[in-house]
Amino acid sequence: MSEIKPTEKTATEDNEAEQDWKAAKAFFDSLKTKVPRPPKPQNAVTIAVSSRTLFNMVAERKIFEDEGVEKYVAFQVEHENDPLKPGPAFPFVKALMNVNTRLRNLYPDSEELFDIVLMTNNHAQVGVRLINSINHYGLTIERFCMTGGKSPIGYLKAYMTNLYLSKNPEKVTEAIEEGIAAATMFMSKQESDLSDTQLRVAFDGDAVLFSDESEIIVKKHGLDTFFEHEKEFENKPLAQGPLKCFLEALGKLQRKFYAKNERLNCPIRTFLVTARSAASSGARVLKTLRSWGLEIDEALFLAGAPKGPLLQKIRPHIFFDDQMFHIEGANELGTISAHVPYGIGQKYNKGKLIETPEKKESGGIGEGSRARHEMD
Amino acid sequence: MVSTVTNSDVKQKDVDQAVVVAVTFAAVFGPEAEDGSTVYRLGAALPLLQRVNERLLEKNSAEHQLFDVILITTDSWQQQQSSSIINSTRHHGLEISRFCFSTEDNYVESLMQNNVQLFFTTDGNEALQATHQGVPSAMLDKNSVSCPSEQLRVLFCENAIIQPNMGSTEASKKSAQNFLAHLGQMRQKFGVSDSPLCFTLVTSHGGKDSCCCALKSLRSLGVSVDEAYCLGGAPRGPILSLLRPHFLLSDGFSLLEG
Repeated sequence: MSEIKPTEKTATEDNEAEQDWKAAKAFFDSLKTKVPRPPKPQNAVTIAVSSRTLFNMVAERKIFEDEGVEKYVAFQVEHENDPLKPGPAFPFVKALMNVNTRLRNLYPDSEELFDIVLMTNNHAQVGVRLINSINHYGLTIERFCMTGGKSPIGYLKAYMTNLYLSKNPEKVTEAIEEGIAAATMFMSKQESDLSDTQLRVAFDGDAVLFSDESEIIVKKHGLDTFFEHEKEFENKPLAQGPLKCFLEALGKLQRKFYAKNERLNCPIRTFLVTARSAASSGARVLKTLRSWGLEIDEALFLAGAPKGPLLQKIRPHIFFDDQMFHIEGANELGTISAHVPYGIGQKYNKGKLIETPEKKESGGIGEGSRARHEMD
Repeated sequence: MVSTVTNSDVKQKDVDQAVVVAVTFAAVFGPEAEDGSTVYRLGAALPLLQRVNERLLEKNSAEHQLFDVILITTDSWQQQQSSSIINSTRHHGLEISRFCFSTEDNYVESLMQNNVQLFFTTDGNEALQATHQGVPSAMLDKNSVSCPSEQLRVLFCENAIIQPNMGSTEASKKSAQNFLAHLGQMRQKFGVSDSPLCFTLVTSHGGKDSCCCALKSLRSLGVSVDEAYCLGGAPRGPILSLLRPHFLLSDGFSLLEG
């Protein structure tokens, strides 16, 4: 189900891949404890999560920052058998697993499932603690990538990733530039009661599902021009944004439930939460979705009202938005949010253009390069 | 007739503590230079082995646990190029302490006579033969030859090129374990980052628990793996092409089962 088409493979490579697949299938089938085997990557919806989104590693990160990587790794190894606490992506992962259970019940032979991959630049020795923690919570994560300090971005494509969640904004930006849906996760400030029977995903519209073309108009020419423009171009579909393909993948899985008469009991529900207003600029959005053949379960037009309170009612497992202002608002009221660093919104903070200092020449060991190497 | 020639340009290593590795002609040098000169082009593998030695000596100038590199020829044609080989070695200033000019019939014997602990080759058959006789072998990835790198990247990969269960005798298991212990010790002298040696583990078929087991087994043998990739049936091609390992170790892998 990945939009990323695999590069041209030779016949031998294909053959080898088939053999690998068959051998893995045989391995899992032979296990005494019936662990669900991971699906075939080209058919699955692959979600890559970093270690810091899956687990809460705030204390460990402090050790890394204060005492350096050697002490950090030593600490992790020493505490290998202490399970880590859940992180921001944890509820999302549990919800994905629930959908898989439902899908396996309805379609026992299908490979169209969620596949969760741990994608981290931690060292393999730290990985033992991560695997122990995964086992502690009974998470079905059978694939992982521990790059020992190097950037994991190259591997996202190799694992055919449909969505990448990380705590590191630089890696997320890099992934988006490579055409992979990605977002930076933030833990919410309050505990929230999330559904354990239905995966609920909320999306902002502009610069998340759609391109930032309309947002550019707002920023450069103001709201009135924006309204006029949207009305005039109501029937012209917007260009797609970085998360469109992920919505599409969710839709494909949803239709599998509809096909089995499970629409009312579908374990996936999607929400559009946009600052647009229904009257003036909403139509274009709905028409664009329709032109893409995509459905969204609930579309909520806020006409500029804050998103936090509404999201509190929706209680999604994850909420994607391109503007930190909305992310912060959502977080304050208990919604787990994920920032999509895309489009013109990145240059603004609360409506004002951010003055960026001249970019320093690379080569210095400053904050920037340190962030690049942080263990995520 | 095997002839062994000591390279007088290079300081000989400590017999007890050095890790003897034999590298084939094809693994050290690239294809013949077109202009017919007698100096062969240098491949990437040997400089990286040398670099590990350099870095070890930087840490401790009295270090004895270094790679002791022997160049070995594995067919009669190569055996006849002995003077070109010695010439090229001098030209590139390579840290090869001895040359073993053997043929396809007796190279394995040479390996054993020289107490070779690891045999690096580009040829799968040669690796199999050596393993049969108890000499742990590793395949040099031909693609890595042209890829510049700061680190010697060693990949532990189940079912790579060599059939894992063929030729694995008790003797070869013991030798493999010894070699791994040495390699692990060398790696330990460097920190988590900035090491001239990098160990990567790739498991193709099993799930996270198999991979975790392999990690721990390697740890118990003294090898602290840096990177780990658990594929769980996903195609290995794309991952391997990104990893760019120099040496693939899969034979001694049967050590890690059970």
